[in-house]
Amino acid sequence: MRKLLVVSITMIGLTVTLLGQSQAQGQDRVRSIPVGGSPLVPERLVNGPVPRLPDGKPDLTGPWVGGGSNADIERDGGLKPGELPLLPWAKELRDKRKEQDEPYVACLPMSVPRSNPYPWKFAMTYTSKGLTHIYLLHELGDAGAHRVVYMDGRKHPDDVFPTWWGHSIGRWEGDTLVIDTVGYNDKFWFDSRGTPHTEQLHTIERWTRLNYGTLVNEFTLDDPGTFSRPVQLKFTAKLLRPDLDDLMEDICNENNQAGIAGGYKLNSESK
Amino acid sequence: MRTKLGVLVAGLGLVCLAVPVVAHHGFDTEYDAKKKVSLTGVVTKVEWTNPHMRVYIDVKDASGKVTNWNLEMTGPNHVRRQGWRPKDLLPGTEVNFEGYAGKVDETRGSLARIAKVAEPDRPLFSQGGPDADTIPK
Repeated sequence: MRKLLVVSITMIGLTVTLLGQSQAQGQDRVRSIPVGGSPLVPERLVNGPVPRLPDGKPDLTGPWVGGGSNADIERDGGLKPGELPLLPWAKELRDKRKEQDEPYVACLPMSVPRSNPYPWKFAMTYTSKGLTHIYLLHELGDAGAHRVVYMDGRKHPDDVFPTWWGHSIGRWEGDTLVIDTVGYNDKFWFDSRGTPHTEQLHTIERWTRLNYGTLVNEFTLDDPGTFSRPVQLKFTAKLLRPDLDDLMEDICNENNQAGIAGGYKLNSESK
Repeated sequence: MRTKLGVLVAGLGLVCLAVPVVAHHGFDTEYDAKKKVSLTGVVTKVEWTNPHMRVYIDVKDASGKVTNWNLEMTGPNHVRRQGWRPKDLLPGTEVNFEGYAGKVDETRGSLARIAKVAEPDRPLFSQGGPDADTIPK
């Protein structure tokens, strides 16, 4: 009897854990055909060694799934409800926003630190000068606008022009890739809940590949226009199942009928 | 009794896991979880398009009136990665399907299960398609 009870509790625990992972991977409680999403690396391979590049740095290529916010940056980043120090205007705006109005649903870029359930990767660009650029490519969610991280030692410009992906400069700190970004526009949302920001946004990502299958993003969120203090968040990405193909084509605007069944127009807030 | 309850709760939890969360947008803004339908019809078109696949099905009611349902699925890349291909469901095929109606436009629904009438116990486009073992390793 006691043994059966232990088995039951274990099953409940496993269920809750898997359900939590499932929720973290997706956006909402979508009731649709159970496809399973992007298949991840099998558990038996996760703890394997970190592959390295010819220059000795860890290979962060991926493709990865996750590693950012999606439904709710506060929850996805490891905070408790109410811990995100939003200024009153920002909280009011978040509470007022409706999910269907977010730019991402209208096929505009997710930006940082957003990641949807589709894979993405770091694409390292080596030239005669070494690693000069890293591109972040998303299968879906970048709307075709590549994100570039300058690895050539340049600084942020004084007159940075606000854009969806901002101006990113990167450097290695040991085995951790550090990406510092400013110059974001204020158009994207951090999550489908509607958490806003201003053009004062400054982010620092610290990407560390813990083992073969796991990549951690220690994320500093600083925007004095939106938050009363900088916030430290943590996201985890898992490797896409390695026997699968690389990123696939995903042209979001090909046949986007979102909203019609519910009787609303996309991205109405920005009009 | 307590043990049986525990197993039951765990079992229900695992059943809930069959509900995926892989979407470009949320469910509740467009579809009504209280309007579940279970119908039989003939496939007229399958769109392997982004950001979501769509299956169109003609359904005939008791009076003979035909309504074309437009049913949304997840993204085609997820389905392709599970080993499904366009040849697995072609127009003209008679199917049983379950789904949730649209909040405003009811025949624009979310597709929850689909199977050929000839093979009712073999749902299409769910995890582990017929070509799953032939994907390059």
